[in-house]
Amino acid sequence: MAAAESVSGEVKLSVTAEWAECIGEDLSGRMNVARAKGKIMSIAGFFRGVMAGLILLASAANAQTAERSAADTALVERVKEAVIKELRESGALDRAIDAGVNRYVERQRTEAAQRERREADAKAAKMRPVAKGRDHIRGNFDAPVTLIEYSDFECPFCKGFHTTVKKVVEESKGQVKWVYRHFPLDQLHPVKARKEAAASECAAELGGNDAFWKFADRFFDLTPSNNRTDIDTVLPQIAREIGLDEAKFASCLASGRHDRRVEEDFQDAGASGGRGTPWSIIVSKSGKTYSLSGAQPYAAVKQLIDLALQEK
Amino acid sequence: MERHLKNLRAALAQVFAYPSYIALAGALATLAFLLAVWLPNLGLIADVFFGSNAPLAAKLNIALSLLGGIGTNFSPLSAGYTIAIAVLFGITAAMIVYLLKQRRVAAAGQNIALGSGAVASGVVGIGCAACGSLILGGLVPFVGAAGALALLPLNGAEFGILSVALLFVSLLLISKTIAEPVTCPLARSENAHQP
Repeated sequence: MAAAESVSGEVKLSVTAEWAECIGEDLSGRMNVARAKGKIMSIAGFFRGVMAGLILLASAANAQTAERSAADTALVERVKEAVIKELRESGALDRAIDAGVNRYVERQRTEAAQRERREADAKAAKMRPVAKGRDHIRGNFDAPVTLIEYSDFECPFCKGFHTTVKKVVEESKGQVKWVYRHFPLDQLHPVKARKEAAASECAAELGGNDAFWKFADRFFDLTPSNNRTDIDTVLPQIAREIGLDEAKFASCLASGRHDRRVEEDFQDAGASGGRGTPWSIIVSKSGKTYSLSGAQPYAAVKQLIDLALQEK
Repeated sequence: MERHLKNLRAALAQVFAYPSYIALAGALATLAFLLAVWLPNLGLIADVFFGSNAPLAAKLNIALSLLGGIGTNFSPLSAGYTIAIAVLFGITAAMIVYLLKQRRVAAAGQNIALGSGAVASGVVGIGCAACGSLILGGLVPFVGAAGALALLPLNGAEFGILSVALLFVSLLLISKTIAEPVTCPLARSENAHQP
């Protein structure tokens, strides 16, 4: 007897002892008949017969296997449909898809944030580091948060923002220092903005860091902005008011010796990403930067400072 | 002009009789206003929201406080046209949607083209609100944009004013399409009045 069994999708043909016995009987019978008839059957012919029988049996087994295989496939399909239907109806499929989409979106978002962070860090790296001897600093030099402002003395928005930052620094109780750098927009405020920047540097040269800030405060108080300042009158007036030597101040201004310094600040503003004034960069203790464009209100600056203070 | 204003009134009454169009116009105007005020600091907002571990409330407060920039970072002129652009954009877009729903695609298409030009001009105008152009600054070499704008009498505010004008023209054209739909007049005949 030959049997075809389906085990885990594989067809196994087994030859039993009973079947072998049958073959043996058949062989013996054939030999007897051959002897009785006096004819000698060749071994090859006999084996051809055996092979034909085997092929016949195998064909029968294969036919049975194909039928079972088709039934199995149909069963698998039915199970598959039932599972998909169940997944759909229970919402599990939707949840799985949603979770996958959410993971993808989150991954994209994280990558975008990392990319932006890298870009911001790269810009900050291009920015000149704050140095006590080089920069004009207001507030506690060791403050954990630094606000670097790039400003133009003729920009009306810088005028308003100056008051905002002054208030933030005064109220910060030593938590914020303010660094002022020049960003004169020559095309919008030709000649005057750059000359006023140089004048503020002359004030710093003659009276130190305090004189610089007195000059800046007074300048923004006095002048109308938008290139309408009468610099020939206002600059000597401020020098006099803040107690500088007028002659030395005039000589410094005429020499143009601070023009290069103003230009360095201007280039630094561009390198840090500045495209207009006022342009500010808030740096936390950990070095994380927040770039703020324009004269934003006190509440926004204050909250950004608080955010930077929380950065470890 | 009187006819245009009459059409405008009629079209506004027709479209905004549906609360859904009022909601749509309001939502789009608000969105345009938020984008306009946040425009200079979109990078900062992204940095605060995605690069900081601060609580969500603190992040939202920063975003909301930046809206105060309309008072501190815009001149009265630029604040005026920014608000006008946002409002006109909301109304125009809602009316275009109304036209599209009426399947008057050709008329809607013309106005979409005009409206797009107005919005593009408005973006440049809003970008010029502060000292130096924020939008052009990214497109042309650094400070070259400010130089180009300095040649204009209003230092770039012209773009904002142009945007308001274009949006208003677009609104009038849409109003005409809505209030005076193109129809085939009935042919006059001798016995038209006879039963």
